[in-house]
Amino acid sequence: MFTTSRLIVIALGAALNCAIGTIVYLLKLPVFLDSIGTILVALLLAPDRMAAFMCSWAAGWIGLALSGLINPFLPWFAVTDVAISAIAAILVVGAARTFRERPLGSVPFIGQVLLCGLVIGVVSAVVSVPVVVYLFGGVTGSGSALVVAVFLKAGQHLMSAAMLSGLASDPPDKILQVLFAALLYRATPGEFIAMLRIKEPEPSR
Amino acid sequence: MTPNGAFTLGFILIALGMGVPGPRGVAVLAVLTLAFALIEVRGASVIALRRAAVVVLPLAGFMGVVWVGIVGESPAQLAADAAGTRSAALAYVATLCARLFFIVAVIQLVFLRFAKLTPLQVIRALALPATLKRVLVITLSLIGTLRHAIDRAHIALIAAGTLTRAPSWRNVLHSWRLIQAVWLSAITIMVGRMRDKWPVENTIARLDDTLANDSPAWFAGGDRIWLPISLGAAVIILVADRLGGAL
Amino acid sequence: MPRRELISGPNFSGRSGALMALLRDGAFAAESFYIGPYSEAALSGLSSTIADEIELYGAMTASFRRPPFSLLDVAAFSTREPQTLSGGEQVLLALHCFSLSGYRALAIDTALEQLDQANRDAALDFLDPRRELVESVALIDNRLPPPLPGWRCAERAADTTDFACDPRRVVADLPRRQAPAITIRGLTFAYRHGKDIFRDVDLALDGGAAYRLAGPNGAGKTTLLKLLVGVLAPSAGALLLGGEPYRPWRQGNRAIALATQNPDHQWCGATLRDDLARRRSAFARWVDPARMAGARMEALAAALGIHSLDARLYELPLAARKRLSWLWPLSGALPWVMLDEPSLGQDLATRTQLAAAIGSLTALGYGVLFVTHDDDFADRIPHRVLAIGNAQVKAL
Repeated sequence: MFTTSRLIVIALGAALNCAIGTIVYLLKLPVFLDSIGTILVALLLAPDRMAAFMCSWAAGWIGLALSGLINPFLPWFAVTDVAISAIAAILVVGAARTFRERPLGSVPFIGQVLLCGLVIGVVSAVVSVPVVVYLFGGVTGSGSALVVAVFLKAGQHLMSAAMLSGLASDPPDKILQVLFAALLYRATPGEFIAMLRIKEPEPSR
Repeated sequence: MTPNGAFTLGFILIALGMGVPGPRGVAVLAVLTLAFALIEVRGASVIALRRAAVVVLPLAGFMGVVWVGIVGESPAQLAADAAGTRSAALAYVATLCARLFFIVAVIQLVFLRFAKLTPLQVIRALALPATLKRVLVITLSLIGTLRHAIDRAHIALIAAGTLTRAPSWRNVLHSWRLIQAVWLSAITIMVGRMRDKWPVENTIARLDDTLANDSPAWFAGGDRIWLPISLGAAVIILVADRLGGAL
Repeated sequence: MPRRELISGPNFSGRSGALMALLRDGAFAAESFYIGPYSEAALSGLSSTIADEIELYGAMTASFRRPPFSLLDVAAFSTREPQTLSGGEQVLLALHCFSLSGYRALAIDTALEQLDQANRDAALDFLDPRRELVESVALIDNRLPPPLPGWRCAERAADTTDFACDPRRVVADLPRRQAPAITIRGLTFAYRHGKDIFRDVDLALDGGAAYRLAGPNGAGKTTLLKLLVGVLAPSAGALLLGGEPYRPWRQGNRAIALATQNPDHQWCGATLRDDLARRRSAFARWVDPARMAGARMEALAAALGIHSLDARLYELPLAARKRLSWLWPLSGALPWVMLDEPSLGQDLATRTQLAAAIGSLTALGYGVLFVTHDDDFADRIPHRVLAIGNAQVKAL
């Protein structure tokens, strides 16, 4: 399963997840974008869904573990990452051919991005709720603080307020991440993708 | 102390902290963590505490605004449909933040314990499968590659009028070009390595040799003192919670 | 007897392919240490500190011992990330690692071109067959024409004209233009918690002139570039463009067209068409549209060896990508041009043509700033030296 080229893809995905925070900070973007690498790994290993899931999951968890030093709250979303990898393997991998089509078919491309992003966003929001509630009291940052406050004041209990807050913010964020992953996949040289398919011997001693 | 021992100790401390111990349990946990900080980490403990404060304070601020400022009662009072008080909300926020602070401080203490080792030395010492060690090493190197590429591409894209220094709609619209440049430049570097340098040098075998840990034991030295103590403390904390005030 | 192979010839004569074929030939060596032509090719990609890079190679059991090649202060740099070193420093680090390793063979594909002359001479001395420090060496180097004593030289001919290039044709029809002078007054800058990079710098850069930025690594060349294009804002001082206040950190860059050292860092799109469309859109308010018209840019790209705007930039050969990185600066879209190590990986004919093109650009009134370790290339361009160091920038 984990050939050298797949290890490299995992490493690239994990490193991208870790480094993207630098871009978000430099450009002062109001989003997180911390799972682009996870989704992109699944795309790069299409159409092998099992490899896509395993490598995407590995990339997600390694990225979380290494990011944990700078953002120690990320590793707590490990289960969310598994869910993202699973949806990426099931749904996003199926869109790989559309994403790489030349010329670009705008309607199918956008349709797939919206569908995959929405599903990942909803699943991610639901799976994250226990962590958000237990660890962060329903509040993970400035945007969510306001949304959760509104729902709590409206009489919602904490779990449902956190869920509604997550459902409001996660799908747009994940749609954006699927879009970026799809654009990166589309631009990745075919030579690299072909290298991922070659069976290679183990390094000799 | 070995990295295996320190990480295991960290896991135990964090797990105990997550378990909502009672006052006696909190005291035992605090003493144990303080002892680890003073004996193993020493002066760098101050850095750990400062970093934990920097990370947790903004979140504490948001939580305070929501629970104390706006909602004005604790989740337990909300769920019970009881009359809420701001002091209950403050206690709730304080407990959560204390837990968060503890988690971040423990993570920082564990890593600062090995600040003098290089990443390769830490990974070599960890009791992990060889494949996982390989991918950790490659990932750490790639993070450096990506960060360097981000710096250079950021300059070039600002020079090309595509991005701006200050927050802007242009940055929102064109950030993907920076991500693309960074990703593709890293791919180009990796393709070169996979095609040329690594096969010619057999570099991955070099890496495996460097990462091979000669020591058969996972734990050694100070681990054999700290781990039993922390497991003993775990038992005391759990028993203290179960028996209430009996201890 | 030590084996030395020098593979020479113009770009696109299959030198890199011949080198790889030689390395795979068991008669050359079972395993070779390899330093390639592309960015970070000197690094293993398996270490995140310089100390780890050295340990990775130094841990090999070696029956063949040689003195270490130590031109880099590795002790001072040990905790740094290898990617933060300059290209030349990375090559020196690689040679140091090779000298400590047990490899009996070394292959270098144009990497020595990133070294300044003194370090090049030291490296070539280390590889000299008479010193018998290395059993086998295979080398490609555009600045080292055959014959070399003790080296077997294989001269290759170009095997394709697909990427035939002449940078002089890019500037041949450029109209004259008086680039506005860049005046720096009292410029002061320091990174947060760091010492001053620039302190009260006064400098006048005239259009119609070329300036070579020189100074040790870390002196501030990149920082100066960041200030001039607006990535950073000075803590004190002012910039004037043609006598008028100029604040690129607020208004955006309107003056300088940049070619980065690694061409892959500068593209605004995955194809040439995307990249140029983005630049056209970004500079529509300040640049004459005729200068950036698609047909004109397509013709200029063809002069640099790329015949289709739909060329996928990251999939072009390295030498072609480097040449294409000159397109935007040499197109004359902006009055000033900044070229970072533009001649890396280019054969003698192309380097000579590029130097002539840059000379023509300044004769037409454009301003040029460039960085290079190739003194021979620099000498072909009439220029002044901008010495950067000790928090100052002085035109010599």
